[in-house]
Formats: sequence, structure tokens, C-alpha cells
Amino acid sequence: MDTLKDKKTKLRITDLSKNYDGKCALEHVSFDVFQGEFLSILGPSGCGKTTLLRILIGLLEASSGTVALNGKDITNAPPAERSMGIVFQNYALFENMTVLGNVEYALKIRKETRATARQKAKEMLALLGMSEYENKKPGDLSGGQQQRVAIARTLVLHPEIILFDEPMSALDVDTRITLRREIKSLQAQFDTTMIYITHDQEEAFAMADRIMIMNNAHLVQIDTPDAIVEHPADDYVRRFVLENLQAKADSIRRFVRG
Amino acid sequence: MRKNKQAAPAAFKLILLCVFAALVLLPLLRMLLHISPESLKSVFSSAGIGGILAQSLIVTLTATVITVLIAYVLAYCLERTGIRGKELFRLILILPMLIPSISHGMGLIILLGNNGILTRMFHLQTSIYGFWGIVIGSVMYAFPVAFLMLADVMHYEDCSPYEAAKVLNIPRWRQMTSITMPFLRKPLISVIFAVFTMIITDYGVPLMVGGKIKTISVVMYQEVIGQLNFDTGSVYGAILLLPAVVAFLVDLSNRDKGSSAFVIKAFPLNKNRGTLAFSYIYCIVVSLLTVLPIISFMVLGFTAKYPNDMRFSFYNVQRVFDLDGGQYLLNSVLIAVLVALVGSLLGFMTAYMTARMKSGLSRLLHLIAMTAMAIPGIVLGLSYVLVYKGSPVYGTIIILVMANLVHFIASPYLMMYNSLGKINENIEAVGQTLRIGRLRLIKDVFLPQSMSTLREMFAYFFVNSMMTISAVSFLATTDTKPISLMITQFEAQMQLENAAIVSLLILLVNLLLKGTIALLRRRKLRKLGASAVLDH
Ligand SMILES: Nc1ncnc2c1ncn2[C@@H]1O[C@H](COP(=O)(O)OP(=O)(O)OP(=O)(O)O)[C@@H](O)[C@H]1O
Ligand SMILES: [Mg+2]
Repeated sequence: MDTLKDKKTKLRITDLSKNYDGKCALEHVSFDVFQGEFLSILGPSGCGKTTLLRILIGLLEASSGTVALNGKDITNAPPAERSMGIVFQNYALFENMTVLGNVEYALKIRKETRATARQKAKEMLALLGMSEYENKKPGDLSGGQQQRVAIARTLVLHPEIILFDEPMSALDVDTRITLRREIKSLQAQFDTTMIYITHDQEEAFAMADRIMIMNNAHLVQIDTPDAIVEHPADDYVRRFVLENLQAKADSIRRFVRG
Repeated sequence: MRKNKQAAPAAFKLILLCVFAALVLLPLLRMLLHISPESLKSVFSSAGIGGILAQSLIVTLTATVITVLIAYVLAYCLERTGIRGKELFRLILILPMLIPSISHGMGLIILLGNNGILTRMFHLQTSIYGFWGIVIGSVMYAFPVAFLMLADVMHYEDCSPYEAAKVLNIPRWRQMTSITMPFLRKPLISVIFAVFTMIITDYGVPLMVGGKIKTISVVMYQEVIGQLNFDTGSVYGAILLLPAVVAFLVDLSNRDKGSSAFVIKAFPLNKNRGTLAFSYIYCIVVSLLTVLPIISFMVLGFTAKYPNDMRFSFYNVQRVFDLDGGQYLLNSVLIAVLVALVGSLLGFMTAYMTARMKSGLSRLLHLIAMTAMAIPGIVLGLSYVLVYKGSPVYGTIIILVMANLVHFIASPYLMMYNSLGKINENIEAVGQTLRIGRLRLIKDVFLPQSMSTLREMFAYFFVNSMMTISAVSFLATTDTKPISLMITQFEAQMQLENAAIVSLLILLVNLLLKGTIALLRRRKLRKLGASAVLDH
């Protein structure tokens, strides 16, 4: 994604604020998300990342501000009418259904015939390498496998945007690295726009086209990883991002040298 | 548009609130308002009142301490040691929970009364009537409940602090004071209060074996049932409400909020030979003591004329059914089924509203549903008489169903509340984004995941409705009488052999129900097992 400037604006967030009973969780946040882009959101705990995501998908009402999808105001649209999907850290699968059942459930409700629903679900699971687990219950799967099911469940509806709220925080390092690659390849394949909250700076820098850094209910900087490294917006970003990366780089260097 | 979506659940919560208010709060308030200065005066100036209060307290405290001690050791044996046959022991130990409290008193009389089986066998001279009679009967009645609660506590205790302590070489007694005590304090207080309330509000045992000792609950029962004296009855009711309210408040402030989320490490089973031997002996002795009364019912019920003619006979069974026992049994089953159906439904709906749609209204609803726990059955019975006398439901089976519903709803409601609360918090959010409506989620996700809890709820309502004698004794007519009340009737006429048969009938029906539910569960497990095998 070398020419972001040419990209079509997918999502436009304008002056978004959120108060929880007087407590401010989001203050005057504005930014654009481009078609097909992978945007990572970074920020310390409690800075408002989840709040922002829930407002984008319509699970939470903003106190003020607007959200527009493809130029159309969706600030008050119900979640299902926004063509967005969401993936949570704790998977939120339907424990009583099989893997296949989880993925085909929403399709069945949308009046697809049983056969096409099943077929689409199976194809999606195959794409995520989950075919052999179709008849298992989520409880019998590893965390990484469960997260794949959750992604398949969302992706099978072909949403224009998928939101991730720390999807890998509960997974081990190896699984994270494989799943990273899988998510990126799915994104390319379906040309889905992705907004991805993470606590892991390295993950953000490895996956994202652009990174958005939040602090204390504010948007501090949104730019490409390179630009952020070269021109951190303020001291906070410098400390928050660069020092962490520096430490990691040092440890890798030490590891490589032995 | 969104605003309307919020309005429907709120309206539904309001309806549920009204239902609970009508069933729980209104009767209670009515009874408390019924208390007049005159009746207060007449109760508190009566000669024996000080003695009655003191005796009730002492007898209940004694029985509570013994109950909790016995139950604690029992829970340890079955949760922490490596003995075999735990399932069987558990089954036997739960049996007392399937018969009315009054039957426990009766069992004592049949075994140890003047003409009792053991009295004759061993030529005993002591009398069972009085203080120790009430204590022993109450322990028999309450220990399974205490055992279940404590076993649950031990089951969910985390072993890792002890392992850490071992590594750090912290001495045994320090572990006791710094790990065990702080962990046990809250649940133990809950258990103690629950047992205390259960015993002090029960009139079945003291009515049977109290002899000269009268407890508050017996006095209240006699005032209301015997002399139709609602005025003083209300005063005694208010007194009985006190410990229950205290227990309720303590329990409420005590309850941990959803602490079951983190992973716990199970304790290794104690396989020390001495401990195992002790555990076997202990469990066998307690089990024997548990089945002894039931055996005594059989001996007494199925002999021609105890103690003179010991031949096997169906005469007593015949007599129960000649006296309309069949009709009363049908009444009981009908009531129990209705209470179980309506109660499970109401419990599920309420729990869904409070566990999955949190709001101020939800908290209020939760509180009222839990308040039902604090009302002793006999207080509930009297309250219902005061409120619903003259209404169309009075004298019908409906009022019995209502009273039982309220009497037993708190525990099953709480089971469902906990079970629904454990389901992933984001399910509704996922549903909204996938365009799966709330009702559909309930049908396809929440109900299927709550089936085992629902079965437990159903069984709880059914079993307790079958055996209760407290609230219903104030509300039943000759047409609507449940069979459990035949025990009080036979007891009054000193026809224990017939009362024994009735107890056995109730036990049988409850066992059948429990067995059916266990079968359902096993079939479900087998199905799950089969599908797991198919996957490979
Ligand atoms: N329902 C709520 N009611 C009141 N305050 C809330 C609520 N949800 C979140 N908050 C507060 O709003 C702020 C932002 O919360 P949010 O969950 O968006 O943070 P976050 O950046 O996602 O944090 P984390 O990295 O820990 O997930 C926090 O201070 C939080 O305590
Ligand atoms: Mg968050």
C-alpha cells in the first residue's frame, strides 16, 4: 500500500466523543479509514480503544460525532446494517453448536437454503484450515483454533470491514505469528478493510498499513509505521512506541549475536 | 428506533417486578401490617414467651453446630479423600432431602420412642422426646443441605496456595490460619446461617418429638392452624422472619461476585491409609444412620400390627388409599409439576433479565427474587391467607402453586443466574452484528447451554413441592390437600404406621423423578460421547 493518498475513503469518523456517566472515554476523535486498509490501534489500557470499536460497529451509542460508511451516515444504524464484523479476544463462540454450526448459523437465519449455507460455511472453514474440526465443539479446540472459527463466522457474511479487539492476547507466540499471516492473507483475498486493536507494538508494526495511537481518550497520531518512527507526533508517542521497539530490537540483536 | 428496542426489555422487567411484588412483597407487608399493639402485648406478656424464645435459640444453635460439624467431615471425606463408592454414598446421603422434615421426627419416634424398634431391641430407658429429640431430628433434616453446600465450597477451593505454602515450608497450622480460615470464613458463615434458619423455622421435627419443649415455629403453627389466631400468629411470624432476614443480609454481603472465572487447581486426593479407613467408617456410619429411619418406615408400614403382629401386610397402604391418599397424591404431583414448570420458566426469564441485561431494574429484580429466600414457609403460608383470603384463587390449587413457587424460587433462580452469567459476555454483541435477534439467541444458544441447570431447577421445585408441609398447611382445603399433609393428620391421631407409608410414597415419587432426570442426563452424555467418537 504505497499510495494511500489515492485510496478511497471507506469509513469517516468525525468528532466522536463518548461519556460514561460523566466520565470521558473518547474525546473529539476524527480520522478516515481507507478501502482495503489494515489499521492498527495502539494505546495504553483504558484509553478508549474498545469504546471506539463498539461505537464504530453500533454496539454503543456515541455521545456526539458521526460515523459514515462509503459516504453514508451510519451513526444511528443498527450493528447488523453496517456490513461490519467483530472478533473478540475471548472468541464468544456458541459453545453448544459445532464449529460448522457456528459458521453457518447466521447464514441460515438470513434465509439461505440449508445446503448453500452449509456449503459456504464449509468453504470458509477450509480456507482457514479448520475442515477437520467441523464437527467439534468450541470447548474441544485450542485458543488459536477457536479464534479461526470466530473469524470464519464473521468472514462468511463477507463484511466490508472487520474489527478485531485484541484477538490474540490470549494466544501463545507461535500461534500469533501464524495467525497474523493468515489474517493478512484473508484480507488480501477478500479485500476487507480491517481495524485491529492490539497491545503488542511489534504486531501492529508488522501487520498494519497505518497505525493509530491513542492516549487518554484522545487520538495522538495516525500514520504509516515508517512515518511514526521518523516523525513521532510528541514525546508520548516517542516513549510509548519507540522505546518499546528499541528494547525489542536490542533483545533480538542480542539473541542473534548469541 | 433503538430507543424502542430498549423499551421492550424494560417493560418486561417491570412486569416481572410486579409479579414478584405480588407474590413476595405484598403478602409479607400484609402480615407485618396485621400486627397490632394488642397482639404484640398479648404475645410478649404471655407467661412462657421468654422460655420459648430461649429454648428455640438453644436447641437451634446446638443442632446447627452439630449439623455443620458432621457435614464438614462428610464433605471432606467425599471431596478430598480417595475412597471408593462416592456416588453411592452421595446418593444415600441425599435421601433425607427427599422426605418432609416431619418424617425425620417421626423416624426418631419409630426407632427410639417408648415403643420404638431400637428401644425394644436394646431395652433402652431414655426418652427421645424433648431437647435431644429436636436436636437429632433437626440434624437429620438439615445435614444433607449443609453437606451439599460445603462439598461445593471444597470442590471449588484452589489448591495452589497450599502448594506454594509447602514449597515455602510454611507449617501446617500457619496454613490453617492464613489460607484455610480466610477462604472458609465467608462460605462457612453462609452455611451456618442457612442451617440455622432452616432449623429454627421448621415446625415438623419439634411438633413430633418436642415433647414439653415448644419452639416458636410450633407455637406459631398451633396458634394459626389450631386456634385460627392470625393476630398472634403474625407476631410469631415476624419473630421468625428475623433470623431469616439477618441470614439473608449476611449472605448478600458475603456472596463473591462471580469468582468462578479463574482457573482453579484441584486438590490431590488424600490416600493416607489412616484417613481412608476413617473416611470409610465415617461415611458408612452416617449412611446407615441416614437409611435407618427409612428402613423403620418400611418395618412399621408393612407389618400387620406393630409390635404385636409382625407379619408382612399391605393393610396400612390400603388404609392410606382408603382415606383418599390416591387423590392427595395426585394433588401433590399436579402441584409439584405445575410449580416446577412455572417456576423453571419464571426462574429462567428472571435470571436471563438479571444476568444478561444488567440495569438498575435488574438489580432490584435480583434483590426481590432473593428476598423470597428469607421468608420461612410458615410465615409465607400465613401471609398468603391474609392477602388472598376471599380472592378467587383462595381454596384452589393455584394458591398452593403460588405459595410453593415463592417458597422455593430463590435457589433455582440463583443456579440459573450463575449459569447464565458464566456464558460469554459478548454473545449478545456477536448476535447483534450477525443479525441474530435476542429471542433467537435465547432459543438457540442460552436455552441449550442451560439445559442441565434447567433440569436441576425442575427437580428442585418438584422435590420440594412434593414434601413441603409448611406454607401449604395454611392454604390447603380437603379438595386441594397435598399428600404430605396426611403425615400431620396421621401424626395427630398417633397413627404412625400410616404416616410412615405416606413418607415412603413421597420418597418414592421423588426418587422416580430424580432417577428420570439422571437418566435424561446420562442419555445426553452418551449422545455427546457418540458424536465425539464419530468425529474421529
Ligand atoms: N460501560 C462502562 N461504564 C463506565 N465506564 C466505562 C465503561 N466501559 C469502559 N469504561 C471506561 O472507559 C474508559 C475506556 O475504556 P475502554 O474499554 O474503551 O478502554 P481500552 O482502551 O479498550 O482498554 P483495554 O486496553 O484495557 O481494553 C476506561 O476508563 C473504562 O474504565
Ligand atoms: Mg479494550
